[in-house]
Amino acid sequence: MSINIHAYKAIEAVVGSNYITQDPVDCEGYRSGPGGYESGTGYERVMTKLPGAIVMPRTTEDVQKIVKICGRYGLPFVPYSTGFYGPRSHPHVENELIIDMKRMRDFEIDEKHFFITVQPGVIYSQIQQECFEKGAYVVIGGGGAQTSAVANLLNDGWSPLSFRVGLPQRRILGMEVVMPDGELVKMGSLADGDDPFWGEGIGPDLRGIMRGYTGLLGCLGICTKMAIKTLPFQPVIPEPTGISPETTLALDPKRVRWINFTMPSLESIEQAHIMIGNAEIGGAVTKVPTFWRAIAKAECKEEFWDIWQKETEESVANFFLVRVLLIGYTSEEQMEYDYNVLCDIIEELGGKERRTKPSDESWFKNADSAGMWLMTGSYVSVDYVMDTFTQAFKQGPNYRDLKAQYTPPLMPDCKDLGWFQSCEMGHLGYYEYLIYWDQREDTNGMDQFYVESAKMNIQNGCYPALLSSHQPLYLTGPAYGPGYHEWILDLKAVFDPLWICHPPLPLAHDEFVKRAPWMQEVKNWETPEEFPYPENLKERMKL
Amino acid sequence: MDILKDLAAIAGEKFVTCDDSVLSEYTADLSFTKASKPEAVVYPGTAEEVSKIVKWANENNMPLIPVSSPIHLYGTTVPKQGGVIVNMKRFDEVLEIDTVNRFVRFGVGVSWEKLTSELKKEGMRVIMPLAPRGNRSVATDHLEREVTTSMVYDYGEPTQSMQVVFPNGDIFRTGSASAPKFPYSPARGANPAGPGLDFYRLLQCAQGTMGIVTWMSLKIQSIPRIDKIKFAALDKLDDASGFLYRILPRRIGQECLVLNNVDLAALLASDAEEFQKYKAGLPHYTLILTISGLIRRPEEKIAYEEHFLSDVMRNEFQNIVLTDTLPGFPGASNKLIDILRSAWSESRPYWKNVPAGAYQDLFFITKPEKAECFVEIMKDICGKRSYTFESIGIYKQPIEHNRACQMMFTFYYDAECEKSAEAVKAVYRDAFEAMHDAGAYFTRPYGDMAERLYDRAASYTAALKKVKTLFDPNNVMNPGNLCF
Repeated sequence: MSINIHAYKAIEAVVGSNYITQDPVDCEGYRSGPGGYESGTGYERVMTKLPGAIVMPRTTEDVQKIVKICGRYGLPFVPYSTGFYGPRSHPHVENELIIDMKRMRDFEIDEKHFFITVQPGVIYSQIQQECFEKGAYVVIGGGGAQTSAVANLLNDGWSPLSFRVGLPQRRILGMEVVMPDGELVKMGSLADGDDPFWGEGIGPDLRGIMRGYTGLLGCLGICTKMAIKTLPFQPVIPEPTGISPETTLALDPKRVRWINFTMPSLESIEQAHIMIGNAEIGGAVTKVPTFWRAIAKAECKEEFWDIWQKETEESVANFFLVRVLLIGYTSEEQMEYDYNVLCDIIEELGGKERRTKPSDESWFKNADSAGMWLMTGSYVSVDYVMDTFTQAFKQGPNYRDLKAQYTPPLMPDCKDLGWFQSCEMGHLGYYEYLIYWDQREDTNGMDQFYVESAKMNIQNGCYPALLSSHQPLYLTGPAYGPGYHEWILDLKAVFDPLWICHPPLPLAHDEFVKRAPWMQEVKNWETPEEFPYPENLKERMKL
Repeated sequence: MDILKDLAAIAGEKFVTCDDSVLSEYTADLSFTKASKPEAVVYPGTAEEVSKIVKWANENNMPLIPVSSPIHLYGTTVPKQGGVIVNMKRFDEVLEIDTVNRFVRFGVGVSWEKLTSELKKEGMRVIMPLAPRGNRSVATDHLEREVTTSMVYDYGEPTQSMQVVFPNGDIFRTGSASAPKFPYSPARGANPAGPGLDFYRLLQCAQGTMGIVTWMSLKIQSIPRIDKIKFAALDKLDDASGFLYRILPRRIGQECLVLNNVDLAALLASDAEEFQKYKAGLPHYTLILTISGLIRRPEEKIAYEEHFLSDVMRNEFQNIVLTDTLPGFPGASNKLIDILRSAWSESRPYWKNVPAGAYQDLFFITKPEKAECFVEIMKDICGKRSYTFESIGIYKQPIEHNRACQMMFTFYYDAECEKSAEAVKAVYRDAFEAMHDAGAYFTRPYGDMAERLYDRAASYTAALKKVKTLFDPNNVMNPGNLCF
């Protein structure tokens, strides 16, 4: 493993010898997996490579210089911050350079105007605490508080706290991006000054090319600075309590409360989501997968299975719980108002309040993705679908039925329907379906399920988030838009004609399907005989 | 090429014209943009027809200028390089109102007056800019990112999905409307994002240069059960600055805005004489705040907001006095709620035409704490240009809990008087440049201002041009606007 020696020397001259390495031991540290989101998949085995070198820039200028050197030597690179996205955020071709952004960890908060400006090495937990102290909060995405806020917002960023502002891209304000040719593009108000407080562009908004529903996984440049919208909170700072890893945030129930309600049916849960949104109260409304309750109770894998194996399909099918977060944004009186309205709704629907801990175990503090590894060692959100509740509540049975065909290798979950929540005050109904598997087993079915779910959504006319980032572009592209994939490929060709920025994205999943023999039995869509790679990439991939 | 014949073959003979009297309607608008005549006007009735027109334009290198409203304010529809007007007025249907999922989908030719009245029948409303012209296209105003008076929703903009005919003629649906089988799919078009890219962001503020939108969907809200309107008289904008920073992040209010006596008088008056009366009697500035009781326990919602306001004023802002009636004109108070929630009816002169017959708006985004500094800049420029500062309308619109605001200066003038128009032109230009230098962020670059803005934002401009070339390699879509 090594990169071009001249390129290495040139990059070393930029950052100094302490911040570049091609030591095999260091490179091994950047191997995708063995534990992590989407780890142990066929995609990981087929598509990921060890990096040829790792560089850690400190400044935007460093990044620009490095990217320009990569361009000069045709050296492929992948931007990397906290690496949560598992195989998707690791090198996909031999002798690739990882540009690790961890050293870029400055941030600055503008409490008066509710935004925080961060570099890509800044993680959510740092800024959440700062925000709390300034009467605000950030929406921590499902990847968890240990993830880079920039990477999370560019590629994902969904959370139960999306009730007030659902789309992660709305929280991105001014930003600067080093494009694949090394040129710096400043977006939003940064395009015209030094203050990143505003996100929209001068005229058409180029944030539109940085992510769609979900992002482009760093294949169209490297964001080196981003201002993130924060949300006004309430004045009482949540207090961390407990001993790690059993920590929670103690909440003042007069200002912040999670409340669980037992509901009589799934339909009543759907109605609760709609009615709470329409009443414009609350800070989150969600129905989580039933087995997450077992995760919350268990301290180890064995304990989880002890708890979970007591459940049956019938018990899961008849367990209806909706979880609501109330926040006293204005005052204690407003909190009471919200509570009274909420109780009216729940009563109308025949629900009943349950005793709920006066603490936040997960959502504000860390969006506890770590717990997801507990059961089987591997997991992935196979998709998020976000449109109306009309769509969201149709998706549960769709995924449940499809998954039954792939269980095992997927974890038996007593046909749980998945995760629902309300976004943007009920204007958007969110559905997420997570799957779990033991990577020591034959996981081919997991890879196939992934693609089959995309086909199912096309067939049903549903709108999943991972269209371009985690599914074959030539499968989803002709179906959505239609033809959105052509625009992405054209854009890639315009801004990265050599495809040196995280190749072969955005065609990585197509490439995986092409290479993995077990995917051929599910491949029934058309792809070009040759993908539109430039010659240098074909050569590197030995095509 | 026979333009009429070609277009008639696509849209039908009666939907194409090159009648001089019709063409002259498009040669100029209410801005100072230099007049220029189109070669024809076509009125397509379907997206497929629009697609064929776009393909024809590419084949014949013919500029197309999309138009959705009968009146234009910023010069974007003046054909700067000739071409054909694509008038979308036949796309005037409200396609669906979904009161459960709370969205409305409508053609790009649907006016504010039509949309608001259709929604009202269903007990719904859409957040809107300040008293928009009733005959303006709702879709265009949202595409142009008109700032709304409602600042309480964290998500800010209500825009959801749209259908667009791209400059290559492809008919494309953005957001979740891109799903197969739409509109008969479970995906209903509520999500603006994607697919793959956020296409909607590239279409907003594009002035028709990135494609022709045929329909759009927007979030809607239930009409509040009770509304209360409150006022505070202010000498300076800054007098309410701290107060608004305090109350708006606490999610108080539905609509909140500050108008000077000129703008507020224009809103309230029915003629020039009445305008003078209001202008003389109103405070320099008036803070207008509505609080609303929604569909459940409306009295209790009003009560907690009022209690919070009382506490804050008593303990922290004794200088702010919120009243239930408009200072100087108590009888006009309730009129304002209707004004804030309605489109301006075509049956009466538009409010901005009342003071002098014509007007020009200069607006930008800034931080609220900087608003007063821009007023001082304007005063200074007026002094240098011997322009009457007191004749200028000033409007400060807080956005998203006051994390930012839009400042708007309106120059009212007599369009028949060349001297008056020239004076406005000069002050407008000076003010734009001075405010831009002082940090005003102009996100909607119209006419001549585009050149300066894009020159300064060099890297953004270069990237934007690349995107434009990708979407519209022949530059047939409304050339001469923005940096294209």
